[in-house]
Order: sequence, then structure tokens, then C-alpha cells
Amino acid sequence: MHHFNDIYPVSAIVGQEQMKKALILNAINPRIGGVLIKGEKGTAKSTAARALARLLPDREVVEGCIFGCDPQDKKGLCLDCQKKAPDLKTKMAPMRVVELPISATEDKVVGSLDIEHALKKGEKKFEPGILAQAHRNILYVDEVNLLNDHIVDVLLDAAAMGMNFIEREGVSYVHPAAFILIGTMNPEEGELRPQLLDRFGLCVDIEGIHDAETRVDVIRRRQKYEDTPEEFIRSYEPQEQELRDRIVRAQALLPQVAVSDDMLKMIAQICIDMAVDGHRADITMMKTAATIAAYHGRNAVIDEDIREAAALVLSHRMRRRPFSEQKMDTGKMEQSILKTQGQKAGIAAAQQHTHTHTHRH
Amino acid sequence: MHHFDDIYPFSAIVGQDLMKKALLLNAINPRIGGVLIKGEKGTAKSTAARALAHLLPDKEVVDGCTFGCDPADPKGLCPECRDRNLPFPIKITSMRVVELPISATEDKVVGSLDIEHALKMGERKFEPGVLAKAHRNILYVDEVNLLNDHIVDVLLDAAAMGVNIIEREGVSYAHPSAFILIGTMNPEEGDLRPQLLDRFGLCVDIVGIDDADTRVEVVRRRKSYEDAPEAFIHSWQSEEEDLRERIRRAKELLPRVVVSYDMLTMIAQICLDMAVDGHRADIVMLRTASTIAAFHGRTDVTEEDVREAAELVLSHRMHRQPFSEQQMDKEKMEQSIQKSQQEKKQPEQEQQNPENQQPKENTMPDGSTTTMFAEGDPFKVNQKPLAIPRRIDSFRRDGSGRRSVTESRDGKYVRSRIPETIGPDIALDATIRAAAPHQKDRDGTLAVKIESSDLREKVRERKMGNTVLFVVDASGSMGAQQRMTAVKGAILSLLIDAYQKRDRVGLVVFRGKNAEILLPPTSSVELARKCMQQLPVGGKTPLAHGLSKALEVIKREKMINRHTIPRLILISDGKANVSLGSGSPFDDAKEIAAAIHDAGISSFVIDSEKGFIAFGLAQTLSLEMGAKYLKLEDLQADQIAEVVKGISA
Repeated sequence: MHHFNDIYPVSAIVGQEQMKKALILNAINPRIGGVLIKGEKGTAKSTAARALARLLPDREVVEGCIFGCDPQDKKGLCLDCQKKAPDLKTKMAPMRVVELPISATEDKVVGSLDIEHALKKGEKKFEPGILAQAHRNILYVDEVNLLNDHIVDVLLDAAAMGMNFIEREGVSYVHPAAFILIGTMNPEEGELRPQLLDRFGLCVDIEGIHDAETRVDVIRRRQKYEDTPEEFIRSYEPQEQELRDRIVRAQALLPQVAVSDDMLKMIAQICIDMAVDGHRADITMMKTAATIAAYHGRNAVIDEDIREAAALVLSHRMRRRPFSEQKMDTGKMEQSILKTQGQKAGIAAAQQHTHTHTHRH
Repeated sequence: MHHFDDIYPFSAIVGQDLMKKALLLNAINPRIGGVLIKGEKGTAKSTAARALAHLLPDKEVVDGCTFGCDPADPKGLCPECRDRNLPFPIKITSMRVVELPISATEDKVVGSLDIEHALKMGERKFEPGVLAKAHRNILYVDEVNLLNDHIVDVLLDAAAMGVNIIEREGVSYAHPSAFILIGTMNPEEGDLRPQLLDRFGLCVDIVGIDDADTRVEVVRRRKSYEDAPEAFIHSWQSEEEDLRERIRRAKELLPRVVVSYDMLTMIAQICLDMAVDGHRADIVMLRTASTIAAFHGRTDVTEEDVREAAELVLSHRMHRQPFSEQQMDKEKMEQSIQKSQQEKKQPEQEQQNPENQQPKENTMPDGSTTTMFAEGDPFKVNQKPLAIPRRIDSFRRDGSGRRSVTESRDGKYVRSRIPETIGPDIALDATIRAAAPHQKDRDGTLAVKIESSDLREKVRERKMGNTVLFVVDASGSMGAQQRMTAVKGAILSLLIDAYQKRDRVGLVVFRGKNAEILLPPTSSVELARKCMQQLPVGGKTPLAHGLSKALEVIKREKMINRHTIPRLILISDGKANVSLGSGSPFDDAKEIAAAIHDAGISSFVIDSEKGFIAFGLAQTLSLEMGAKYLKLEDLQADQIAEVVKGISA
């Protein structure tokens, strides 16, 4: 990611708790699959998305691999690593935020022939594009609804397979491209294509703060940041470090988080009642609820985690009606929760114990 | 900035104090983020923006840096400066005004592959574009509302974080691009996109001067400038020098300006009460008020500074009400100023009830009564894409119908292909890539030897689709029959269906004495809902105004997006009773209907006259327009959207 100024600390953003939470959850558990931040102008959307870069934890990569292959995932290795396997040197490296600008052309996104290499050596060599860099990283698109349809097609293709197939300019190549998509958009500038919308694990709608005193806080912090950026960032370093530690702790806890059958049923019931398409919502909700539990230092998912996860997972997956905003009906969700709790009470009376499974997230 | 003539001195501009002030404030404090100057033709908008160049303060730059990096800002350095040895060679230059012409292509704005370097040296190098030149300078866009949509996208992307990232035409590069945006526009030619509007720190509306003596002065000065530009400029030199000195002093004072907590609260309260989106307005207002204080040689921000700043900051950030100007309600602002003053003494006790949803009755200035209607029920819209004419040579639409590949040179360069015939739009990066592997076997003096079989051309793509413009009669008769509700429903239904196809839908409404673009063509359901929340109905029927406004909107739409296919849907009973000039109201309408026909716009007339068609006016009009004709009565409310879909089938 390219920065020509200091990154505003996440913990210095006033309010917007849901947005911050959604970003942090993705840092803990990349399998949640990214987040779309929708909101009006001037609500720290881009600031927050970029600030995430500083909170991302380390993960194991194959040393020297341009795609940062996961040495544990033998099937997901790139062609080079497959040749070298099993003698792979590994190292720890932090996840990165790779930015996709609106003006990108297809050759730079999918990758193409390395011009200089071809000119000098007369050989054809593949030059990796943005999708290669994005593998196991975060792909960040500011103003994602303005992205060209053609580039969106390419993204969707890669996202569906987790692979990028290149067949152009005499170069044939394939490499893994499993990325987390993070995007921001102002809905006033147009809608997002539904297929792309579905690729975002979570979605948050944000708006400005409607309290004068808190607004003053926003202005003051911004002013301080601009006057003395380094000092400002330093003053938030303890909070930032605490957040980073919490993310690392949650990550360690996550594999132990159990989702009981009751909780799984509750998730399924909510998705049925809310009439979402397909099963991606259920799966994402399960992962998100487990991650929320881990974030709170618990190893079991509770009602409240699911409630919170549902708000993040469902808002952009609801069928849209013309005169209502695309939003989740919380009242309806509460009914689904009650429904499953009612069942649980009945079953609990009949049989005295319930099974608990540990799921891989 | 290129000048082929002498610049008119800033201080010689007569009147237009608010505009001049807004520009000066930006010269003192670039962080204010630019200014949008809205106004009618010939009100010295462009003159002032260009004249500002002379008043801009000096800055330190790294000598020899393309981007004019700030040596004092190690984080903000471009990739080259980062590799440079310290200490940097420093040069003092003045800020510049970099002009972005409306006709600019995307590669010239963003930057692209340096063709000459690639051919001569066989290496790729980044060639900076307008966004590179604009770094730490002023980016000036004349007629900014006519800028191509894909150029606006690129500007927004760069403005979001002050970085321009290039991933195109074989080049990967990133450089800082923090610019002050100054734009001028004539609102008669259409609105700006909301996101772009918000990127302008300040906005001023200017009008021509009404006072005869002052007008004479304008002409006199202009004449002496044109007769002897150098002498004229010379005669204003001391005024210019004074102004420059005042800017310099204010700049020095600015870091010492303090804003009390009370003033901060006042700023927050004003923004809250004026219901602006987000927090950018608060932040810009603070900067502006501080700069105003510095301009007046003070180190503390007063209530008056905040008041003045609010006017400059809020006018373009207000939500616009139909049939009223986008304007700041000064009375409301005074109330929030008082509120924040009282709060100091006593804790607040307000918290208003949300407004009720019942139709509201209002009395309009023209004495007529208006009623607000809610939007209609959602309609089912079938999945068939809007039908389009079978063959239009200039474009090709692919199966999904949501975009098209354009054959002309505007639009985004997305990829390349082998051309059928060699044209001017060569994709150089792809051409070099095609030629590269064969270099060893070819002879020639250039670093890269290209043969015609290597040539690749650019495939350009742009967001496009149909533009469906509703022209709706909102006079008394429409309100009575709740037609408006059905029309709103149709628009939202079309938009929801259209959002995959890049179709745009707009709404022109006429009532009382004039017509208004209630919803500029948009693909945003969100924006449509916001714009159409309130729609007054009632009053007379200025049909000709409505049609001429519609024609204007479509013409502008064609200008911004040449490949869009416009459709016009008129919903009216045709009983025009307001004329454009001195002629008969209906004849006026017929004349414009014929012009719509001549412009080749496919149209549809839905007659809202009830029962037995006694006058047949709408039908007559439909003949003039070459439009298809239908009676509203024959339609179920939910059929309007269906009808629109079938319009050109």
C-alpha cells in the first residue's frame, strides 16, 4: 500500500464502532471474507480501511515466493513452490493491504508479459499483477462502485476460484489468488453489482455522528492529527498496541471456539426467516460469530455474538425492496432467535444434554 | 498553466467579494481544499481563478523533482525523492494553477507509459499526468460539471487520500497528489455529482452586478486592460503587492490562531442542525474560520468568523429541496448559533420528534396550495433488459446489456486487441509486449523494432446504458389523482432493475411557473429516494418549460456520455397554460416537441386526461414529438415501468 502521509490510528476514530469491529474481525479471521463500508461522504470510510494495515497480524509464508504461498497448504501452492516442495523455507510476514485503483487496466490486474525481460532476453516471462500481490492479503478498493465492469468481471472470476488464470499475449500461467476484499462506497454514486456485493463477507452502513459534543471530538482529533501527526500517532500507540495484542490473542483462541448445535440452528433459522439467497450467509455468520466470541476472549458462541454477526452479515444480502433501504429487520431477527430458543427449551426438557462440536473456522 | 496573454490582475476585478475572499482564503490555507464557483455566464469566474495564480505564495520544493515534493515532509516524498541523498537540493517556487481541460483523456490525467523512452531505450518509465503536476498546486477545472464521468472517478480516487496510484498500460507507480481543487460551473448546464461536490472545500454562488455604475466600471476596466494590457497590469501592481503581503502575513499568523471550545461547539451544532452528510463540513469550517481570523490579523476565532465560514462551507452541502435553490437557510443557522450559546449556560433539552409521514399542505409563494405525496408501492419489474434499437453503428452492447465497448477514443482503456485495420488508438504497451520477444531477430536503430503485425489497439469501455428521463406534470390535476405516487414508484422500480445495467433515470417536473430537474439522471437508488422524498404538486401547467428543460438535460447527458441512448417519457394532460414568451402556451409546447423529434430522441406520451378525451391535446403533442401515445387510465399503476421498457421495442 502506498502512503504519502501518516496513517490515522484506528483507535483515534471517534465512534463508528461497527465499522471498526468489522475491520478488526477480518484481521483476526481472514476467512470472514472482507467488508464493504457503505456510507455518506466524510465519515472516515477510507481512513479506517487504510488504517487497518497497521493492525494486521503476521502469518507464515514461503520465503522468496512472490505470491506469499502458505507452506501448510500443499494444494494451494503456486507453480514455483510446487516444484520446490517439500523443501520450502518459511518466514513470518504481516498481511498487507494491496490497493486497486479505479483507473487500473486489465493487464496490471491479472498480470501480463514482462516487457523488459522480453526485450532484453527475448524470452516470455509472466509478470504478476495486482491479483498476485493480493493473494493471502487484503485487496482494497476505494469507491468500489465506480470500478469498471470489466475489472469487476476479472475480480469475480478470481474470487470464485481463488485462482487467477492468465492466457494472454502468448503467456499462459495460473497462480493462486485468494484475497480478502475490502471496499468503500458512497451509495449516492451508484449501486454495486449484486454478484460483487455477495463477495463481501460483511457490510456496514455508516453515517455521521448526531451529537454535537462528539462532533467536536471529531474536529479536535483531526486538527491535532494535522498539526502534529507524529505526536498524535504516538499518543495513540498504547491503544493501538493493545488492539494488536487483542487481535493476536483472539487469533490464538479462535480454533478453540465452539459453536453449539443450538447456535448453528439459530443461525440457520435466522437465514431462513430473512430469506437470503444461498448458503454463504449461514457460513459467514458462523465464522463471524465465532470470531466475535474469540475477540471477547470466550471459547463458546453465545446469542449475543450471533445477533452481532447477523447485523454484519445480512444487511447487504437482504432482497431489496424499492422503498426501503437495504437493511436488516431487527424485529424479525429477534423472532427467529426466540423461535430457536423455544425449540431449545422443548428439546432440553426431553433430553437432558446437548452436544457441542468444535468447528474449523 | 499556459498563458498566451497577460493575466488580468486579481485586485482589478470589480465586486464579487465573496468569490475573491474564498479564493484568497485558499491561497492562505491550502488545506481548506479549494472552491467551487457557481454562476451565470460572464461573471469573471474563470478570470478570477486564473488571476489567483499571481497571488499564490512561494513554497519549498525538492529541486529537480517532477512532483515538487516538500523537503520538510519525509513521509510525503515521491519514490524518486525517497532514494535521493540528503540533504535535498531545495528550490523556492510559487504554487501553480494546473488546468484540467474537459477534453482530457484518462491517460493524460493519471499518467501513463512514456512512449518515447520505451521506444528509444527499451525500458518502461512512468510519464506523469495532470495529477502529478497538480501535487501541491491548484487543479483548476473550468466547467467542471461537464467533465467526463470516468475522469471524475479518477479525480475522486486521487482526492480521497491525496495519492495517485497507476496500474495501467504496463506501468505500476504511485505518487503523492494532494491538490486544491478549483472549479467553475454554470448551474444551468447541470449539477455536479454529490461525491465530487463534497471534495470542494468552499462554494460560492455569484451573480452579475445589478448596479449600473458598477457595471460601467467593469466594462471600463476590461476595455483599458484589452487596449493596453501591460500598462493596465502595471497600474494595479501596488494593489496586487499589498494583497500578496496580506496573504503572507495571514499565512504566518495562521498557526497561532486558536479556536475556543465554545466556537468548536458552535461549528458542530451548526453542521448538525443543517443536517449535512458526514464530518467533512465541520473540519473544513474550522479551517476556514481560522483562516478568516488570520486574514483579519487576529489570533482568535470569533462568532462572526464562524458565521462567514459557514456560509462558504455549507451552501453546497445542504440537501436540496424541490423547487427551491440549494441554499443555506441563514435563519436556521442563527438559531443554531444561539442554541450553542445557550448551551453554555444550561444543558440542552431539545430533541425533536421525527416528522410525520402524512401528506403535508404548504402554501407556495405563488399562492397555490401544494401537497406532498409519498412514493408509490414497489412494482415488479421483469428481468428483460430494456430494448434497444437493433443497430447503432457506434457501439456494440454485449449479452448482459450492462456495458458497451465503445469504438471512439473516449472511455476507459481496459485491454487491447489485434486491430482489423490500423487506426489511431494504438495500445503502445501491448504493442511493445507483442514485439518484445522478437527483438533479437530484427534489425533497426531504435531500441524496440516494431512491425505492423505487432500493433495492438486499445479496447475502451465505458459505463453506459439508456437514460430514461421522465417529464412529469405536477400541476393541480396530477395531485388530485395521485398520479405522482405511481410515477415515483415507476422511477424507483426502474432504477432498482437498472442498477446492473448502468441505465440512468432522471425526473423533470413542471408546475407553477417553471420546470425543475428534480432528479438529475442517476443510477443511484439512494439518491433517487432522497431527491424524491418531497415533491410538491399543484399550480399551473408550464408544459413548454418542462419539455425544454428535458431537452436541455438530454443534450447535456449526451455531452457527458456520448453513447447513452436517451428516452423521454412525458406524463401530462397537455393542457398547457403558461407560455415561454408571448406566444400561446400550447404552441410553445408543440414547437419544443418538434425539436425533441428533430433531435432523434425516442419518446412516449402518457396522457393523464381522465375519461372521455375532450381536448386530445396530449395526443396532438405526441404526433409532434413522433412519440408513442398511451392513456394513463388504461394503465395499471404498476404498468408504467413495463411501458417504459417496451418504449422502443
